Amino acid sequence: MKGEKGKKPKNEFLYFAWRNWKLRLGLAIVLFFVVLAIVGPRLTPHQPWAYVGPPARPPSKEFWFGTTMFGQDVFTQFVYGLYPVFLVGALGGGLATLIGTAIGFTAGYRGGWVDEILNTFTNVVLVIPTLALLLIIAAYLGVRSFFIQAVFIGCTAWPWTARAVRAQTLSLKAREFVDLARISAARPTKIILTEIAPNMLSYLVMVFILQFGGAILNAATLDFIGLGPTRGISLGLMMQMALLWGALPLGLWWWFVPPGLAIALLVGALYITNVGLDEIFNPKLREM
Amino acid sequence: MRGKWWVVLGLLVLGVGVALGQEFPRQETLYISGAAWGPPTDWNPFITWSKANTSGTVGLIYEPLFFYDPLKDTLIPWLAEYGQWKTDQLFEVKLREGLTWQDGKPLTAADVVFTFELGKKYSTIYYSPMWDYLASVVNVGDYYVEFSFKRKPLYQEFVNNLYNIAIVPKHIWETRTEEEITSGANANPIGSGSYKYFAHGPDRNVYIRNEEWWGIKLLGLKPAPKYIVEIRFATNNLALGALLKGEIDLSNNFLPGIATLAKLGYVKTYLPEPPYMLSANTAVLFLNTTKKPLNDPAFRKALAYAINVDAIIERAFAGLVAKASPTALLPHLAKYVDDELVAQLGFTYDPAKAKAILAVAGYKDIDGDGLVEAPDGSKIYLEVTCPFGWTDWMEAIRVISESAQAAGINVVHRYPDYGAWNTALVTGTFDMTLNNWASLSNTPWTVYNLLFNHPIRDVMGSGNFGRYNNPEVFALVDELAATPPWDAEGVKAVCAKIQEILLTDLPMIPLWYNGLWAQYVEFTWTNFPGAYGGRPHWLPCTWAGYWQMGGFHTLCELKPAQ
Amino acid sequence: MQRYLAQKLTIYILTFFLAVTIDWIIPRFMPGNPVQTMLSRAALRAEAVEVMRGYYLRAFGLDVPVWQQYLNFWKAVFHGDLGVSVYLFPKPVIRVIAEAIPYTLAILVPAIVLSWIAGNKFGAFAARRRWLDNTVLPLGYFLTATPYMWLGILLAWGFGVGLGWFPIAGGYSFAMTPHLSWKFVLDLLWHWFLPFVSLFLVMFGGWAIGMRNMIIYELEADYVQYLESLGAPRKLIRRYAFRNAVLPQITGLALQIGTIAAGAVVTETVFSYPGIGKLLVEAIQNQDYFLIQGCFLFIIIGVLLANLIVDIAYLIVDPRTRRGMVGEI
Repeated sequence: MKGEKGKKPKNEFLYFAWRNWKLRLGLAIVLFFVVLAIVGPRLTPHQPWAYVGPPARPPSKEFWFGTTMFGQDVFTQFVYGLYPVFLVGALGGGLATLIGTAIGFTAGYRGGWVDEILNTFTNVVLVIPTLALLLIIAAYLGVRSFFIQAVFIGCTAWPWTARAVRAQTLSLKAREFVDLARISAARPTKIILTEIAPNMLSYLVMVFILQFGGAILNAATLDFIGLGPTRGISLGLMMQMALLWGALPLGLWWWFVPPGLAIALLVGALYITNVGLDEIFNPKLREM
Repeated sequence: MRGKWWVVLGLLVLGVGVALGQEFPRQETLYISGAAWGPPTDWNPFITWSKANTSGTVGLIYEPLFFYDPLKDTLIPWLAEYGQWKTDQLFEVKLREGLTWQDGKPLTAADVVFTFELGKKYSTIYYSPMWDYLASVVNVGDYYVEFSFKRKPLYQEFVNNLYNIAIVPKHIWETRTEEEITSGANANPIGSGSYKYFAHGPDRNVYIRNEEWWGIKLLGLKPAPKYIVEIRFATNNLALGALLKGEIDLSNNFLPGIATLAKLGYVKTYLPEPPYMLSANTAVLFLNTTKKPLNDPAFRKALAYAINVDAIIERAFAGLVAKASPTALLPHLAKYVDDELVAQLGFTYDPAKAKAILAVAGYKDIDGDGLVEAPDGSKIYLEVTCPFGWTDWMEAIRVISESAQAAGINVVHRYPDYGAWNTALVTGTFDMTLNNWASLSNTPWTVYNLLFNHPIRDVMGSGNFGRYNNPEVFALVDELAATPPWDAEGVKAVCAKIQEILLTDLPMIPLWYNGLWAQYVEFTWTNFPGAYGGRPHWLPCTWAGYWQMGGFHTLCELKPAQ
Repeated sequence: MQRYLAQKLTIYILTFFLAVTIDWIIPRFMPGNPVQTMLSRAALRAEAVEVMRGYYLRAFGLDVPVWQQYLNFWKAVFHGDLGVSVYLFPKPVIRVIAEAIPYTLAILVPAIVLSWIAGNKFGAFAARRRWLDNTVLPLGYFLTATPYMWLGILLAWGFGVGLGWFPIAGGYSFAMTPHLSWKFVLDLLWHWFLPFVSLFLVMFGGWAIGMRNMIIYELEADYVQYLESLGAPRKLIRRYAFRNAVLPQITGLALQIGTIAAGAVVTETVFSYPGIGKLLVEAIQNQDYFLIQGCFLFIIIGVLLANLIVDIAYLIVDPRTRRGMVGEI
């Protein structure tokens, strides 16, 4: 994600934001799922694991998404499963953004040996395959929660962010306004807060969105392998249960299609939002 | 494209070095699944815990002296022509004449003596405890073996061993070291059995019929399939899909939804109506009797009344299992159940009674959250566990926690990973957990030895996980082990005493019989066992230890479909 | 160029050192004890337990001081001796892994290479072609956002269960044993197809999108505007843009390799494909520390090698790095 960034008048931003269909589409989908995650549990009288109907029924008026092999309501599991998606996405993605930004920024801004060490560290962690590491960490813990999962995902997903933020910082540091501030003997924190940070904000928003999506996918993978949280419900867990319980050969498509579709739609929408934002922040990319 | 060359290269790598290979003709091959939980690793009959993955090692490749038919509760002479108690401390076995190993050498009494003496020589052989009471095993000529005992033997264990210990060829094993014998892979096994090892892969075992097998002449038996391919499916749904398509003939997996398919006639099962399956073992809820409030018999009793077993059977097993006798004995051992005692002390699902028992014992809901507190006012919090991924049990403990909550007992279900679960189980750090490690056998001693395993040690690896410490019942279990098999009344009397303690104290709660999962389709092979329509009566099971309990006879009854 | 390579190699060596150390720590800090697990399986009497404990300690190399275990582990790594599997006892870990590696490579390498080439071509083609761009873009994002296992499940359901065209499990037919014949090779390919396609599709979406975005950046660059003002043909401009856009895509490949490895793990799980990924999951489920250790090591080595190959590719493609003009990417 490279590109020129500069301050834009607010109204211009909103104007382009509204005109950008990618942003509109992306945000609409994300918003839809947010609303569903909040309202959903209120729409259903059931609990996600409760046995409420006949087993293995296709979608009907009574059970919107059908029922599982045990007669649990798939719709209920689905809407309850959305909440942890956002929790892990926001927490894991947020943490990864935070760590990545802190490390990348420090490295880029301080330079010298600090940069050498941090950059080497980043590159090393970058090469280590995250999922293999996550699998092993997850296996350490006999009992796991969504919170722990999010923290671990956050702690392993930051390296590319650090690298990108470092590059951004380096390029910003070289700009005239920072030099001006430095000549005027401003303190480093002040330079960072007033000059560099605002210029990076738009960039960080986009990084966060990508991390958010990545955390969701990572969490779903862990859940699916059986190393997700040991309590509660999530979309990845639904897919795992469906596979374990013969939804494939028995043709219970309503059990495994919704959770995967929701993840793909949600994460896809996040990515599209990101492109939209990129186009807004970076006028050159707008369609002619 | 460059990519394609990689593919070709990859495939070449796969192909090279594997000289032996062929395709099995469908009409001569029996495809089965359900025994293995991991890739095949060894064909060593002395490593018992891995035999599930090469279940044919004992029964198909190696053979014991006897087979056992649980449906009729009789021993079937196998390598032995007969066995008889000459006195109550001397057992004589007469071998059949004309037995051979798969390499053509004769199988004689010397091989039997060698096999049993391994247990005397090495304490690491699983049956070495026999030698506590065994004085000697000697051969008289080529066909007679005499087992003499120092004192009254543990008859129940001894008989069990007769149909479980696989006889190995002396001329191959006598040069091996202890380490090779107790932990070697024993690749390319040479046994005496009806099938030979043919090939294996991470997800399969292949056996080929031994056309020179002694039993064809001496027993007049010949198994129908030339090849047996045993497949390990990663998930049950794959086994189900393969079964419905006729890619496998016999599945011993637990398959959800099989009740519906059996009703519609897509698959055949042993029983024509619910529970469709025979019973294989008892699922027992072990309670940690060293923890409060599980150390209180009244509390445990309330718990027993609170658990809705019918709901477990319906939801977790879709009606494929039957409720267990409160005595934990399997149906084929029903003659050892004291019915009067059960009528008097047995428990059933009755939440009102559970609440009443709790109230009398001083467990009351003080803070008004609908859950009782202990008599000393402390809150109760108990976890019921089973390993993550054991799907039927996961559903079962969900029902347990729900029904306990409904009766006012704060029980929560948890699914730790297998390793964590196992550690908690054997070290006694769990609260409540399910276990069924007593396999189908000829004696009630097997299950009572699981329930009341003793003495209490730091690591309880083979039973009594809840560390119930009652010398009285331990003595009774020892007495049961030493009761001779011909003394049915004696066995029943000891069982009754054990059952009385079990039902009064309820240190653990027997819940349901786990099924002998077996479903078959008859596209390629017909005449699978069943309790109806003139079908043969054998256990249609290919799990480790079940080949000699009906699995092999099932093979002999099969007929090709035309 | 030397500086560039030296820098890269330092990082890889450091990573390798760190990874092997983490790898060594795994079995020693995990809950539960492999020897105890082995012993509790066998249910032996007390004196036999001690004898067996001795065996296992020796078999797993746990009978020497910790520092020596660490040194031994390094020695073992270079000798390819990764100990004995607990889950598959007494099979050596290295042999278990050697059997699984061809399968993983067979789906991963073609999927990566083909999806990268096809995705780049397609992305470049779609960029700035309005109708194509507007339909393909959301689809591409959807594909790349699809969890690997879900696409796998859908393919297995559609082409395996529904249409019955492809098998949904295993590396080759249950009716065969491995041997060299066309029939067997075809059988392998038949089982290989769905796992390959599901990996390919997800990656394809990602590369197509990446390339499309890069091309758009490039088309806005000053040199393009300069060329346009000179009246250069559109085709030529696009070719230049493509050449420049490929470079970040190569870097992207290096960044993605870890994620791709993760995708292979779940895809193999869905299709029960007997590769390293499935092995790793089984090893974790069975708490087979030494097998986990071995799988992790091989994944690390694979990822490092892939990175190295990408770096070399980058050197070849980008003349500036060759001349030492770029210190770091």
